[in-house]
Amino acid sequence: MSLAGKVALVTGAGTGIGKGAAVELARRGAKVAVNYRSGDSDEGALDTAARIGEAGGEALLVPADVSDKREIDRMASKVAERFGGIDILVNNAAVQLNYTLFQHDGDTFDREMNVNLKGYWQCIQAVVPYMKSRCFGRIVCMGSVHGKRPTDFDPVYSMSKGGVKMLVRESAIELGRWGITVNAIEPGAVTARWPLVPEDEELANNPALIAKFPLGRTGRPYDIGHLVCYIASEEAAFLNGASIRIDGGSMLL
Amino acid sequence: MRLSGKVVWITDADSPAGKTLIRRLAGEGARFILNSVSGGDALRDELAYCRGIGAKTAVACVDLCRSAEVDGLLDEAAESVGSVDVLIHNNNKVVPLSVAEGREEPFLDVLHANAKSAFICTQAAGRRMAARQSGTIIFVSSIHAEKPTGSSFAYSVSRSAVKMLAREAALELGRSGVNVNTIEMGPVEGDDATFASAISTLYDDYHYKVPNAVLGTFDDLADAVLFLASDQSRYINGAELRVDGGFVLHYMNHKMKKPQKT
Repeated sequence: MSLAGKVALVTGAGTGIGKGAAVELARRGAKVAVNYRSGDSDEGALDTAARIGEAGGEALLVPADVSDKREIDRMASKVAERFGGIDILVNNAAVQLNYTLFQHDGDTFDREMNVNLKGYWQCIQAVVPYMKSRCFGRIVCMGSVHGKRPTDFDPVYSMSKGGVKMLVRESAIELGRWGITVNAIEPGAVTARWPLVPEDEELANNPALIAKFPLGRTGRPYDIGHLVCYIASEEAAFLNGASIRIDGGSMLL
Repeated sequence: MRLSGKVVWITDADSPAGKTLIRRLAGEGARFILNSVSGGDALRDELAYCRGIGAKTAVACVDLCRSAEVDGLLDEAAESVGSVDVLIHNNNKVVPLSVAEGREEPFLDVLHANAKSAFICTQAAGRRMAARQSGTIIFVSSIHAEKPTGSSFAYSVSRSAVKMLAREAALELGRSGVNVNTIEMGPVEGDDATFASAISTLYDDYHYKVPNAVLGTFDDLADAVLFLASDQSRYINGAELRVDGGFVLHYMNHKMKKPQKT
């Protein structure tokens, strides 16, 4: 599963799952544009770039607020200018406010939707021209198990992830004719704070975890990153419009 | 009379579905809070019918995405017809929009008309219902909460968002005695034009993709709404009821029931 010569853009790559995806893509040879929110500290993104360097890859930092189409478009041009195109988009930057039904209001609804849904869509719009020109594209959208199962802690978050589910299906049937695939990953609980808690440490210290996670542990960003790399590969050419749940089986409990 | 004395709030009363619902539920004893884009002008016949059988109505035209206006509507209506027992959210805006070329403004229009309004209305009705430990919320949605349209991605995205709102509210409001369910309506006459697509063949021969080759109507929707609004559905919560005659199950086109000669 080599991604040598491919160019990837990962949104929200300064932390968590996005960092894991960016590093794994680079490890397989992709050049990676590391997006983080403009105005935020670049500390996390610099760390991602350093890890990409350690893995022998090449990184480019591209700050942009994905709730703003102009910033998205500037980001995409910058990536294409530097790396000569865009082959892989990982839509990952998302907001989760953890407000309940009655804590939310119209403004917090908009804040989550403008990043999690409108942002995903407009990032797709921004990269499609580059993918069309090569008749190749891999778009991976980070959904969530909460696109199907409610959170019970943030209804707008799950509404946005439900929306992502259909954005992926619509994009898959619309963009397929240009060799562009669009798929969703639905992660369950991922322990995403860096530095990562080693799996064996978690297994040893939390025997109760097995009641919620059949494998006895939560996910790690690299778990998700490995799946991103498969979906982004040439081998996954026939995978389109799919949603892949990656949660260690926890949603079956 | 399965809805005797119940106060039913219909959020898009002027739509064909809304008008059908008014007549059907009025006949079962309901009273109404009607949000009418025309301020009641488009509802003359329905309002006359309600007056004729003694069904109280409160008619208003508020922006369903603004909590203050929605709260005002429910507070005023509480004085004239009573507190809301049943919320029927049936706003259903479809605007052709492609993923690759669509503009932001119509995307947000559709998202707000269908999903944000559902959220704000659920908060407003949910608060009042939870306080009384009783109530029912019904979202009139679409098979496109699952099936892509190939013509209006903003529409299916908004329908899928509402599906998750319903599941969340079924949990949170369920703890306060409120049931929240979704109806996923299938094709009615004219939906081939509404969802005309250069990408998806879904609506080609859509009459015959319904296994029995008989298309549903808003009366079928009203039957399902009545059931979910009535006390007969008290153990149904967080469910999606697909009302499409089996349309989304179609697969082998050559086995479709032949068109009937009329």
